[in-house]
Amino acid sequence: MDKNMSPEEKKFTLEEIMAEAEAKRAAKRTADPEAPAVTTAPADSDVPQTVTPAAPPVSRPTTHTTANLIPQAVPDPQAEPEPDTAQPAEIIPDPSADEAEPAEASRRPLSDPDHPVSDHIPDCAKPDVHEEHHVGEGMSKKEAMRIRMKNMNKQEIAYLRRKQIFEKCWPVFRFLILFGLGFVILTPLMFMLSYGFRENADMNDPTIIWIPRHLTLRIMKQTINAMGLTRANNNPLINTLVLNIGCSICQVVTCAITGYGFARFKFKGRNLLFGIVVLMILVPTQIISIPLYSTFRNFLFGTVNLIDNMLVMYLPALTANGIRAGLMIFIFRQFFRGLPKELEDAAYLDGCGPFKTFIKVMVPNAASSFLTVFLFSIVWYWNDYYVASSFFTNTKTISLVLKNLDGILNIEIFNNANANISAREKIVWLEAGCLISITPMLILYACLQKHFTEGIERSGIVG
Amino acid sequence: MKIPYERRKSLYGYGFISIWLIGTILWFLIPLVESLCYCFMDNAQLKPDVGGMNKVWLWNVGQNWLTNFKYAFAADPQYKQNLISVLKDTALTTPMILIFSLFIAVILNQEFKGRGFARAIFFLPVIIATGPVYNIINGNIATTGADSGAQFSTLFETDIVDQLLEFLGVMNISAGLSDVINSVVTNIFGLVWSSGIQILIFLAALQNIPVSAKEAASMEGATAWEYFWKITLPYVSPMILANFIYTVIDSFTKTDNLVMARVLDKQLDWDYAYAAAMAWSYFAIVMVVVGIIVMIINKFIFYEVE
Repeated sequence: MDKNMSPEEKKFTLEEIMAEAEAKRAAKRTADPEAPAVTTAPADSDVPQTVTPAAPPVSRPTTHTTANLIPQAVPDPQAEPEPDTAQPAEIIPDPSADEAEPAEASRRPLSDPDHPVSDHIPDCAKPDVHEEHHVGEGMSKKEAMRIRMKNMNKQEIAYLRRKQIFEKCWPVFRFLILFGLGFVILTPLMFMLSYGFRENADMNDPTIIWIPRHLTLRIMKQTINAMGLTRANNNPLINTLVLNIGCSICQVVTCAITGYGFARFKFKGRNLLFGIVVLMILVPTQIISIPLYSTFRNFLFGTVNLIDNMLVMYLPALTANGIRAGLMIFIFRQFFRGLPKELEDAAYLDGCGPFKTFIKVMVPNAASSFLTVFLFSIVWYWNDYYVASSFFTNTKTISLVLKNLDGILNIEIFNNANANISAREKIVWLEAGCLISITPMLILYACLQKHFTEGIERSGIVG
Repeated sequence: MKIPYERRKSLYGYGFISIWLIGTILWFLIPLVESLCYCFMDNAQLKPDVGGMNKVWLWNVGQNWLTNFKYAFAADPQYKQNLISVLKDTALTTPMILIFSLFIAVILNQEFKGRGFARAIFFLPVIIATGPVYNIINGNIATTGADSGAQFSTLFETDIVDQLLEFLGVMNISAGLSDVINSVVTNIFGLVWSSGIQILIFLAALQNIPVSAKEAASMEGATAWEYFWKITLPYVSPMILANFIYTVIDSFTKTDNLVMARVLDKQLDWDYAYAAAMAWSYFAIVMVVVGIIVMIINKFIFYEVE
């Protein structure tokens, strides 16, 4: 392609460009105040113009002006002999814009010279498709880039170079960062998988760190038995599921109703009451657990003892006061506030009462938000052990069992004379227990990952 | 149907929140007030009794009404140390979590291959970190010497952290800074694992940045660095506040919170008045600090819609 270049083009070495750019910039610094005026205009103008009106009065060498771009490209053998009349207009504003404002250069992609503003020409103005080619055609991208570079000053070139380097390097760094941190996050999972399926004897082998020598399901089975997951009555898994799903459903429904009440109705003391919701988020459960215990112990003026009854979880959930209920009310309120008011007005006009409106109009619109809050609720109930440990004595949940796994294992497995198990070997059972207890959540997460991560955006917690 | 429309609507409003209101009074407000009262009751007599707690006000038995707080801060062997270490820890990790999660959220908001997979991994802690699993694993990993700092040491056969700190020492940078770095590096596991929700919230905020702001910035030729400070940060600033509060609140419920562990110990010893005093003073201190910080941050927050 070099043969297409006029000889005067070639003499421009980088030093010359730099020197010239330096001069140009110095001149521009004085003329700077007018410069911003032209920043946007030239790029869109269809009007043929060879001189930009507000271009700073720079003493550029004529060989290097924009005019010189055209003759250099026209001799292109493949090019159409007589270019479209609109063409000079298309190409000229481009470089002139570049020198009018350094920032202007950066916003145009590097491959841009091949596709100037020809889109602006109405179809009738270009009768033949073959005439549509423009000045930069026939040059390689590199070539076009070099020509463009000549019209830039040092800052612009430096900017582009920096940008290029950054764009090349960043993905590598990003990968390293994400890989490293992802490794840190996945370490516990790999740890569980690696330790949960090995013989406890492997723990005493210093050559084994990650890959077990004796794969086995024995430890898993023992742990499942010890945790009571195979028991017929008071099975922690069934207890947890009953509590978890039931409470989550109750809580989501009641929290949604409350959130809607706060979002859409004006009543006296609303701000004060919402302050209580915020207080519910802030106050840790530990503070109220003792009086709550005494409330449940002497429920209905001391006639009923609710301790160790699942009602201690269900009653608060039914009245929108379960685990992290404040946060859920807050999320629902934010979400319902974001829905358009016209939805309800339409329903009211059609004769719906407020509750019917809520069920028929608002709930279907909030489906994604419901799902997100429900999923989080399930996770929080699954992971909760504080409330469970405060109010349950015999009823076991998974997280309760897991919290006391060390003691349970001591009783169930290590409690005989033959068992000579070191603390280090116990880790195998502990990890097996962890793996068992989080597997349902992992499966849930794997299946509904999109709803976990994208639901929160749609649920309107932001905004 | 003689009630005016506005009035009727407000009544409906009460109707919608009534379920919650009943529950809150029963399960939240009454216990809250009661627990506050426990702080000022005689510890020796505050024991479960038939039909509720046996409550005796401190001033009825001729004691100073601050006796329980005095016990907590002066007599209890562990409370004060635990409180100081937890507060220090929170003060250190909260900004780290915020910076870290914002950084990760910015990265996860970019377009690249495998973004969905990366997101799935980074949100994984959300479902696990709140449970007891985290503690057990953390302990076990430390026992087997597979925890992060040591792990990298075995991977690269040199202790990078120590070498780095040595280097800092050579450069004569204060010991305090190297302490901070050391605690951050050794705690990278905890840091990553406790910022799942924060990343999620920041990511949601990032996706709410209007396209027009992005376009304007790229028109003006903003670099990524400038873009972050001039566009990203102002737009996510309300969420920085929200995340800050969330992080602090989250530290209350963390299973390894020493103060709360101490409070639980006291409860198990039937020292309910002491436990209440400890929990409330911890809560009050944290809330005062949070309140001050929130007021300060509020001045720098950019709200798009007033």
